[in-house]
Amino acid sequence: MFLTVLIFSPLVLALIVGLVPKSWVRPTALVLSLIHFAFSLLLFKHFDPSTAHLQLVERAAWIPTLGIQYFVGIDGISFWLVLLSTFLMPATVLISWTAITDRSRFFYINLFLLLSASLGTFLAMDAILFYVFFESSLIPMYFLIGAWGGPRRLYATLKFFIYTMSGSLLMLLAIIALIFMTQQQLGTLSASILDFYKLSLPFVGGQFISTQTLMFFAFCLAFAIKVPMFPVHTWLPDAHTEAPTAGSVVLAAVMLKMGTYGFMRFALPIFPEAAHYYSCLFMVLAVIGIIYGALVAMVQPDFKRLVAYSSVSHMGYVMLGLFAFNIYGTTGGLYQMLNHGISTGALFILIGMIYEKTHSREIKSYGGLAKRAPLYAIGFIIVTFSSIAVPLTNGFVGEFLILLGGFQAHKILGGFAVLGVILGAIYMLWMVLRIFFGEEGPLMVKHKGENLDMNLREILILIPFVVLIFWMGIFPNHFLSYSKASLDHFVNDINNYELQIEP
Amino acid sequence: MQISFDWVDFLIMSPVIALVVAGVVPLLIKVVNGNKESSSFVPYGFGLVGVFAAAALTLGNWGIEKAAFDGAVAFDHLSAIACLLILAATAAGLTFLRENPATHRRQFSETVFLMLNASAGMIIFAWADDLIMTFIGLELMSLCLYVLIALSEEEQFSKEASFKYFILGSFASAVLLYGISFIYGSSGTTSLVELRELGPTLISTNRMFLTGVVLLFSGLLFKIAVFPFHAWTPDVYQGSPTPVTTYMSAGVKVATVFLILRFMSLDTLTSERAFPFVDALQWLAVLTILVGNIGALRQKSMKRMLAYSSVGHSGYVMIGLIAAGIGGQTLVGATGAVYYVFSYTIMTIGAFGFLSLLEKHADHEIYLDDLKGLGRKRPVFAGMMAILLFSFAGLPPTVGFFGKFLVLSAAIKQGLIWLAFWGVVGAAISVYYYLRPIVAMYMEEEVVQNSTETSLRPISQFVVSLAALMVIGFGIASETFFQTFFKSILDLFS
Repeated sequence: MFLTVLIFSPLVLALIVGLVPKSWVRPTALVLSLIHFAFSLLLFKHFDPSTAHLQLVERAAWIPTLGIQYFVGIDGISFWLVLLSTFLMPATVLISWTAITDRSRFFYINLFLLLSASLGTFLAMDAILFYVFFESSLIPMYFLIGAWGGPRRLYATLKFFIYTMSGSLLMLLAIIALIFMTQQQLGTLSASILDFYKLSLPFVGGQFISTQTLMFFAFCLAFAIKVPMFPVHTWLPDAHTEAPTAGSVVLAAVMLKMGTYGFMRFALPIFPEAAHYYSCLFMVLAVIGIIYGALVAMVQPDFKRLVAYSSVSHMGYVMLGLFAFNIYGTTGGLYQMLNHGISTGALFILIGMIYEKTHSREIKSYGGLAKRAPLYAIGFIIVTFSSIAVPLTNGFVGEFLILLGGFQAHKILGGFAVLGVILGAIYMLWMVLRIFFGEEGPLMVKHKGENLDMNLREILILIPFVVLIFWMGIFPNHFLSYSKASLDHFVNDINNYELQIEP
Repeated sequence: MQISFDWVDFLIMSPVIALVVAGVVPLLIKVVNGNKESSSFVPYGFGLVGVFAAAALTLGNWGIEKAAFDGAVAFDHLSAIACLLILAATAAGLTFLRENPATHRRQFSETVFLMLNASAGMIIFAWADDLIMTFIGLELMSLCLYVLIALSEEEQFSKEASFKYFILGSFASAVLLYGISFIYGSSGTTSLVELRELGPTLISTNRMFLTGVVLLFSGLLFKIAVFPFHAWTPDVYQGSPTPVTTYMSAGVKVATVFLILRFMSLDTLTSERAFPFVDALQWLAVLTILVGNIGALRQKSMKRMLAYSSVGHSGYVMIGLIAAGIGGQTLVGATGAVYYVFSYTIMTIGAFGFLSLLEKHADHEIYLDDLKGLGRKRPVFAGMMAILLFSFAGLPPTVGFFGKFLVLSAAIKQGLIWLAFWGVVGAAISVYYYLRPIVAMYMEEEVVQNSTETSLRPISQFVVSLAALMVIGFGIASETFFQTFFKSILDLFS
């Protein structure tokens, strides 16, 4: 029952938030999200990190006519992503505390719905159940961007929705085809991912119109749009820039991970031959994404947009790691997913804080902010270090492992990826320089005498992020030990990957 | 030939009889009262009584399997399902009619009479096991609809729509009749039971028979607005009073799809000679999906938009029907088609009912801009429409998603991958225009302050809310419906 309660309790919480008196909405949402996060921490007790088996499994027939089950379970790959989602929820509620005043009830309901859909996506072990959660996560995000976003929110939200939805429709076709194949090969109709792993799909190298290759690309398109990989990344900067702070945080930290998680859960283990055959293509795209994202980020005048493009670059690392097909790359890829969630999430939170006070995101109009907001500057710089992978921060561990894996897989591409690290340092530090140091910009003059530094609420939001940044940077084993068994299994047995269910 | 009828035959036809009787009563009351319209509640009440009686009788007959009246109509589980869907559309249509400003006053007794008779026609149409009965059902349904469309207080578009539908509809009926005559001429029978024996051989030996089938299909495809017979849809849907649009867009589609399904069960299309025809049908399905969904992109009027979207949905039903026609014993296609019209009926009732509720006077037509700010003024009500639109767009876990899922599954199962591909392309396009009303309701501010008077129409609101809840509830519980539909189809196809 544990996972079911974890997935569906946010729906009940959303209902509670929908019913309490108006002035209670914010505190209720905060308390409930904290309770839910605390509840999710029980996973440490229930989860056994020593095995790669699927744990806490719950199965029930849902639509037996088509082999669809209600089937949820957790393993080392999804473990941290689940905790990341629940961890971010209280932070997103707190950061919206004063920023969202219009229709706040509906806002928090959307956040809870989104939480439920994300948890379902990470825990579903039935392909159709996964698809249901994967798609329904679009709806609350669509409202978050469209109803509380910036001036170009309608354009951004429609683009986001149509992009991601059209990508996943082809995946639906591939899932249906796989379901019918389970009937041919295994004898029973089943949409369970574990049964998909058992299928043997004919693969002809170099021939695009062949079963495995077509299905592989159908899945890849859906997930690559979500990640997003170059060249299907163009929805991301718009969505990130226009979304309200809480929306940007969840989008960056959780929704992008659905894409990379999809690669790890579906595209690579179900279609191993195709994935190996085309790994070079994906590594090249990943490296292009790393460098292109960094270069475009460098010239952005709007610092939220800058961070959005840095996401493209960071997610490129994750993809590079995953397609390196060795233990360093894969471990680094998973770790980088979490790092990106923490550091980019924190960056968006920080941007939201200052935007709320100055109503400007133009880098040019800042300058000399460090003097006016010293605490804020310290927080921002720590997060920046994490983002550009300075040693002792979490980013370093992830990027280092990925580059190690990348070099092992392909020397030249690994070399280009290192270029991205340098570029990343340049654009982030240059932004910090222009915002926090130097002459006082027009904004500082305009807001003379006002307090631009963080207040207690904002400090409280940031502390857990800073703690995690160092904790994950100094003791990566505390985190990786939970995923190690699963990742070893993933890398060693990728060619005939199977998941056992914990008895 | 000895003609004798069993009492079971009358029992089977009792839903139709109940509808006609219930329709005549308000008319008689009006005549007795000296041609004065009583309160609209009386005809409405009789209408509902008729509909519920018919539904109860159908449920009572559930399980009977018989070709009644010497094989004129076939009653089985599938017929019962068709009848219940048509009755649902009728009940919703009646409710909206009584509470819509364009229709609630004028000649309401006649309106109820016509609607119940149209339903009787639809039921006969869906049950017909003989091509002559098909034609009778079709004409009864269509003639009532022509008048119903024109019976609006709106003076211009409704008359134009009625006339347009009449001219084109008569032409389509003529083509259908022509097709029937070809089939009769080449096979010597109009009974579908006998055609089941003759069809598979005739279609590969007799060109006349094939021509007849093609003409018959042309007539039928006109009714469900498949490209290139779809051109009337936007104008007629827009011009008709919204309650009538609700009713006909759901009812006619249900009746026609069930009839085509019955025809597909004849196994005529599995023979090699029919392949070009099946190919043509596939092309029509693809073009229908594309024309409908692309046409809807630029519509400003909500009714026109939903009209084009209904053309698109016909394309998806076609995918299911084609898979059913060539699939033989694999019944995913047929189940998909039935589930699709089932989901379409619920969504249509909800969406058009929503528009009907917003109309403030007879000439009032809802444009996209009229929805602006509705999410702020009436969040729950707008939320209902949002759910319906998400279902139309095929987002899980709604009935719309499972409809598309089944239909696409059927296509893949039959190896019609490219058909499934175009279905997916159409779905991706459709997302844009289904999201626009939601954008208007929740994300845009009202430009001009509308007059805030919102008239109270409780029953219509109840129906729309019910539809929205069903969209999600029936989606999650779709297994029950799959099973029911699947078993019903098993009877027909085995």
